[in-house]
Amino acid sequence: MKKQNEKQEMSRRKFISLAGGAAASLAAMSAMGMPLDWALNNTGIDVESLDVNKISTDVLVIGSGMAGLFAAVKAHDAGAKVLMVSKGRLGASGQTPFAKGIFAFDPEKEDLSLDEFVVKVSRSALGTNNNAYTKQMAQHSLARVIELKEWGFFDSSLYNKSFSKPIVERNITVQERITITHLIKENDKVVGAAGFSIDEQKVLFYEAKSVILCTGAGGFKPNGFPICDLTHDGTIMAYNIGAKVTGKEWNDGHPGKSENVAACYDGWGDMFEQKPSTTGVEIRHDLGVDMNYVAYNNGSPLKMGPPGSGEQTKVSGGPYTPEEFMRHNDTPPGGKEGGRPPKGGKGGPPKGGKGEGAPPGMGGSIVGGSSAGMSIHKSEGLVPINDQCESTIPGLYAAGDALGSYMAGAIYTQIGSSLAGSAVQGGVAGEAAAKYCKNINSIKISTSKMKEIEEEILAPLKLEAGYSPAWVTQTLQGIMIPNFIIYIKKENLLKAALAYVEELRDHHIPMLRASNMHELRLAHETKNMIISAEMKLKASIMRTESRCSHYRLDYPELDNENWQVWLNIFKGEDDTMQFEKQPFNTWPV
Amino acid sequence: MSIKSINGCIGCEECIKSCPTDVIRLNPDSKKAEILYPEDCQICHLCRMYCPVDAITISPEKTIPVIVSWG
Amino acid sequence: MKKEHYIFKLIALILAFIGMPVLLYFQGDFPKRSFLMQTLSLITILGFTLLLSQFFTSRLNKTLVKKIRMVNVLAIHKFIGYLFISILLLHPFFIIVPKFFDNGVTPTHAFIRIITTFSSLGIILGLIAYTSMLVLLITSFFRFKLHLKYKTWRNLHGYLTLLFVVAATWHVVNIGRHSNTSFSIYYVLMVASGIYYLLKTYLFKTSKK
Repeated sequence: MKKQNEKQEMSRRKFISLAGGAAASLAAMSAMGMPLDWALNNTGIDVESLDVNKISTDVLVIGSGMAGLFAAVKAHDAGAKVLMVSKGRLGASGQTPFAKGIFAFDPEKEDLSLDEFVVKVSRSALGTNNNAYTKQMAQHSLARVIELKEWGFFDSSLYNKSFSKPIVERNITVQERITITHLIKENDKVVGAAGFSIDEQKVLFYEAKSVILCTGAGGFKPNGFPICDLTHDGTIMAYNIGAKVTGKEWNDGHPGKSENVAACYDGWGDMFEQKPSTTGVEIRHDLGVDMNYVAYNNGSPLKMGPPGSGEQTKVSGGPYTPEEFMRHNDTPPGGKEGGRPPKGGKGGPPKGGKGEGAPPGMGGSIVGGSSAGMSIHKSEGLVPINDQCESTIPGLYAAGDALGSYMAGAIYTQIGSSLAGSAVQGGVAGEAAAKYCKNINSIKISTSKMKEIEEEILAPLKLEAGYSPAWVTQTLQGIMIPNFIIYIKKENLLKAALAYVEELRDHHIPMLRASNMHELRLAHETKNMIISAEMKLKASIMRTESRCSHYRLDYPELDNENWQVWLNIFKGEDDTMQFEKQPFNTWPV
Repeated sequence: MSIKSINGCIGCEECIKSCPTDVIRLNPDSKKAEILYPEDCQICHLCRMYCPVDAITISPEKTIPVIVSWG
Repeated sequence: MKKEHYIFKLIALILAFIGMPVLLYFQGDFPKRSFLMQTLSLITILGFTLLLSQFFTSRLNKTLVKKIRMVNVLAIHKFIGYLFISILLLHPFFIIVPKFFDNGVTPTHAFIRIITTFSSLGIILGLIAYTSMLVLLITSFFRFKLHLKYKTWRNLHGYLTLLFVVAATWHVVNIGRHSNTSFSIYYVLMVASGIYYLLKTYLFKTSKK
């Protein structure tokens, strides 16, 4: 019986190959009465007649959050012609719209000097921070905050209006709802980028002397954290043209509310409705994977309660927090200020914030993985070669969460520094990129390159059958998000997950299909998430110690002998993923 | 069901522009915003907050997609 | 006997223009909003249905004029007129009330966004209706200072009302928050019968005179 089936199968295949082509095979299958809805890719788009546009500029800023804003403004003020493109809207995409606290280091008001501040951050970060970037952030934070104040940033809970002010005043062109998928390199220098518009059905090429990635971080489109539009696009694009990236082993350990997990607005009380405010020096060692460790040992529910209520679950062992930064008789990380999860580095709730809604866990329980796939802010991203936000590729800069600056280290240290750091780094990168442009005469994207990239961008639309990005994403989430894979790590499980992810990489990425521009964006995002997952797993396997937000059950101790290093990732000659160690507080060689 | 309904839309496109995940689109015939990809809604409420006429209703619940072997 | 009929007549009007919209409002599956906003919505809807009732509290309603004297009809017509106009004049501002209570878009910004969305047919119709309503208000208020012949006045008032009502109804059906199918059918029916009476009176009855 079985043999007969096999025989039939064989003859069917034979018939298909004889008939030639996928269309015929589909026809054959449907003739046999097989349901085909899953496979038929009915694109409502005539892929062959899509418009192709090419635009030239000096500095191309990709992303329109806090880093992008300052990158565009400062590059313009330094004399460059600037064009900003964004996947979403100015001031309303990425994590910026949800960051409500910004650190401003005012030397007049603080007890700590600038250098003392850097030293203290470094102590909390167990050496993982980059002192140059920590200092730079604090040093320039007040100046950026003052500019933001002038633009009306602190007057509204929504940032589009205040962000538009300096952009409109300077007449900087902003193109919104453009998904950039490729960075373009010619003669070892960056010469631009390419992507598509989701509204106009257009493939777009940007010829630029310099590109600043302000593309933010990313995750696996987790539930409960507003990062479903962030998929490490900048990091993966840069990796694909040979840039070094770092920081994939770290984790942001934000919890979510167990009731209506996906509702990130509700999980944050009414914080999204608040106007932003500034924070002063307050250094912590927060929001690593402590809670994940507790949950791993005790299971759900994980209690969070008001200070002193004794409602928190406690276990021994787990991630190490330096004694100086232990918070006794306090809520677990994620519990201060009325118990809602602090925005960690990304601002933290406004100090003494008023009008807080129901915080997650107050009398209820919390779940993990709400920001799954994301590292500590600014610990992951492009490797900088200096303190000017310059990447390993000439002309390519990054700022904010797209830059692996290790400004805060591999754990959340200074409250509100993430938003401040994005502003500061945006400004630094903008000026540096404008300066770089002055020495570049002309650039050109070759026609052959454009053809090749256009082909890659539109590939998912041209597939007659394949896998939907939604399904592949869901599968990836199932592989990566469990606590025992991404947070509480051990080698055999990391390797097991890697086997799955490699299957998605090799077999599913080429078969991602899209039937419209919305799905085309999802297809490219999914691809980036898969590569990012591979990076995360491999980096996690490699770092055989526990430090800050990276916790290995099989290597629970700090290993200062071998691991006072950052892990860099790059594409080797043979297109495989390569790793290198870079000692803390050095620049790459 | 995440983003639930839009009532009294004037077609200003504020929500469409401010949705980070491209859930809402302008209906070319009625010239009004319609919820096209609710499965991608991250329940962040930006659309509702940007709407000048307070037209958008969002619920905290989200239906989780059914697990299948391929899709 | 005569008095009873008078109340009965008005009850029919009250049922048609207050009872019916209230019923439809509570029958409809509309998203729940704050008590203040729900109240303002209902007031706005009633403002609009009162406007529609104007066709039937005028000379057009022969039966009513016969039952209660024209003076009384006119008094009711005037009273309802100023009432609905006050509501409808204010209703664009009702919409931005929530903006006073949050930290996001400012009320001014929201208001400007609304009245400058020229890509929207509903907004354009609303602006037309609003302007014609203002003209109607001013001309009615200064009716006797205008020194118009009665017939000229009546034509001005009637035809301007026609423009106003058509634009307003279309506006309501197009972008009304509560304009579901039942509300839309109700509005269209009321307007159609109103216009039918108006045109019947203006075009045929007058020529016979």
